[in-house]
Amino acid sequence: MDYAAQTALFLIAQFPKLFAGFLITLGIAAAAIPLALVLGLLLLAPRMSRNRIARGGAIGYVDLMRNTPLLVQIYLIYFGLPVLGFYPSEFTCGVVGIALQHGAFLVETYRAGIESISDRQWDAAKAIGMGRFKAFRVAILPQALVRILGPLGNQLIVLVKDTSLVSAIGVAELTMTGKVIIERSAASVEIFVAVALFYLVLTTILGALFRVAEYRMAERLG
Amino acid sequence: MRILVGNLPYLLQGALVTLLLSIAVVVLGTLLGVALGIAATTRSRLARVLVAAYVFVLRGIPVLVVMFVGYYAFPAAGLRVSAYVAVGLAQIVYVAAFVAEIARSAILSVPEGQIAAARSLGMRRRAILRQVILPQATRIAVPPLLNSALTAVKQTSYASVVGVWELTYAAREIVERTLAAFQIFLGVMAIYFLICYPLSLAARWSERRFAFVH
Amino acid sequence: MAAIPHTPMIEVRDLRKTYGALEVLKGVSFDVARGEVVVVLGPSGSGKSTMLRCINHLEGYDGGEIRIDGVTVGYDTTSRGRNPHSEAVNARLREQVGMVFQSFNLFPHRTAIENVMMGPVHVRGVAKRQARELAAALLHKVGLSSKADQYPAKLSGGQQQRVAIARALAMQPKVMLFDEVTSALDPELVGEVLRVIRDLAQEGMTMIIVTHEIHFARDVGDRIVFMDDGVIVEQGPPERILSNAAGARLRTFLRRYQGDYAAGA
Repeated sequence: MDYAAQTALFLIAQFPKLFAGFLITLGIAAAAIPLALVLGLLLLAPRMSRNRIARGGAIGYVDLMRNTPLLVQIYLIYFGLPVLGFYPSEFTCGVVGIALQHGAFLVETYRAGIESISDRQWDAAKAIGMGRFKAFRVAILPQALVRILGPLGNQLIVLVKDTSLVSAIGVAELTMTGKVIIERSAASVEIFVAVALFYLVLTTILGALFRVAEYRMAERLG
Repeated sequence: MRILVGNLPYLLQGALVTLLLSIAVVVLGTLLGVALGIAATTRSRLARVLVAAYVFVLRGIPVLVVMFVGYYAFPAAGLRVSAYVAVGLAQIVYVAAFVAEIARSAILSVPEGQIAAARSLGMRRRAILRQVILPQATRIAVPPLLNSALTAVKQTSYASVVGVWELTYAAREIVERTLAAFQIFLGVMAIYFLICYPLSLAARWSERRFAFVH
Repeated sequence: MAAIPHTPMIEVRDLRKTYGALEVLKGVSFDVARGEVVVVLGPSGSGKSTMLRCINHLEGYDGGEIRIDGVTVGYDTTSRGRNPHSEAVNARLREQVGMVFQSFNLFPHRTAIENVMMGPVHVRGVAKRQARELAAALLHKVGLSSKADQYPAKLSGGQQQRVAIARALAMQPKVMLFDEVTSALDPELVGEVLRVIRDLAQEGMTMIIVTHEIHFARDVGDRIVFMDDGVIVEQGPPERILSNAAGARLRTFLRRYQGDYAAGA
């Protein structure tokens, strides 16, 4: 049997294992995304508040997340919590680490979307007599949502790619699975090409979904 | 604090490796990326398609996977190189994909009218690129390039997962031996912060300065 | 302003161009004699700008032939079909044809005088000092000596357009093409630009001016060409064309720009 056929057969045989890893990857992302989205929202108020302490605290948190690697943050959680007497699973550590980092990035995405709405919109809403909060909900928010959709989609794609990092603490997601297969068999680069394909399909679909959502929403707003 | 201070020399060695790796990756990755970005704006359909495919694939997969591919590709091809070279090259290829997109978009953002004006003076493509396009595209590209560099520095830490010794690897070694997770990892975060924050400030400053170009 | 009996400076023969499914130029033919000023009028979408861009080969064309001073533009037509010229040949042609655009298109990262120097320095390899002297003289000619070291952002629209004219003149072209050069200007700035163009006409420059300014057409033009829907509908001297003997389509066009026309009538 020639090399290409052999490789193909081998990859097909490994498909179930890779797919299982892929599902774990999806699971991590599915758990981390809502947490990150919510964390970003929680940080939004302090980040944009007029109170200098609140704003400074939020900015400090964002800067900390922005200037240190996610991997080290995950290690801190994974190795640090047992010292305090908590023993969360590797999966949980990974999800929490990812959510904490991406929540910080998301608050900046939210903020940029809101600030990109020109002041005139605010003035227009207030001129009709809307209170600040109502103006926000009815006039600003829908427009901000459309503008956010693009950067938000990009940020979530980065999040999905970052799930690969939890392989460092032993979670059997897609990247880890690939690594294990290589170590236990004679396989080589081809396995990681297959792994790459899985990720590529996932990120492409996600990207397409967001583009469609952006298009539909922009249409509705006219 | 004692464990951190005691292991500081070891960690600082790791920091040095991280710094060197970062510089190599950022410089070479940016150069390669700019070349690809320029190629993507030529009239050659082949060049545009190839670069687009390259960018699409690399931006759609995690950098860690690219690093693994680099790590295993060389032995698979029968070449023996150090892990630093293998993983470093992988990261360069990865960074170049993002820089290519930044460069391409910056070049295309120079208004077509100026290029028409340059052409109608009789300027050739190379002169137009050097005198009209690049000076303006560079200013537009600086903020995203600085952000890309910042990301690349943080991503050097992922090389530790593939087995390359740098700051994060050193930190994990120490923690697995001493269990002083908070001291060591917080200390390492501080070191990364010291390396990254100036870049971060530069990126933000450049965003403000080059915000109004046209 | 009378035409000199030589070969025409510009010859356009049965020019055709299609964008996808749309035929933009449907067989345009006219000549421009040396030193003649031809003003092209017409509604938007008539193809006048496209025709201009074909003349200096900023865009290719699909049928017909264009010659400048006897040299074919863009293609060599042999018995076997058309061979496109190389980019080098096209660039050399464009050195001899100056073009001024509706949106000025100055290089924002260079001062006014540096803009004017661009062509001589980077196309002809002229030494910077020499180029600077030439540029300074040209800026003086268009009345902008005091603004030589300003960046375009600091100049008004009319000033920018005059710098653009100086920049085109720096290449000492045989022909100048003006593409709606006052359409993007505030009304009070139009005059300064038209004055420069009139001076150029009086100096004997061969020019094609695409414009909406009908009174200017009458003032400066040796011949008016009226284009509509990709063809030349009428052409002739301004006195005849712009008088009440004009054809139906031209009359509609003139009525739309009644304000300008009445002002200059």
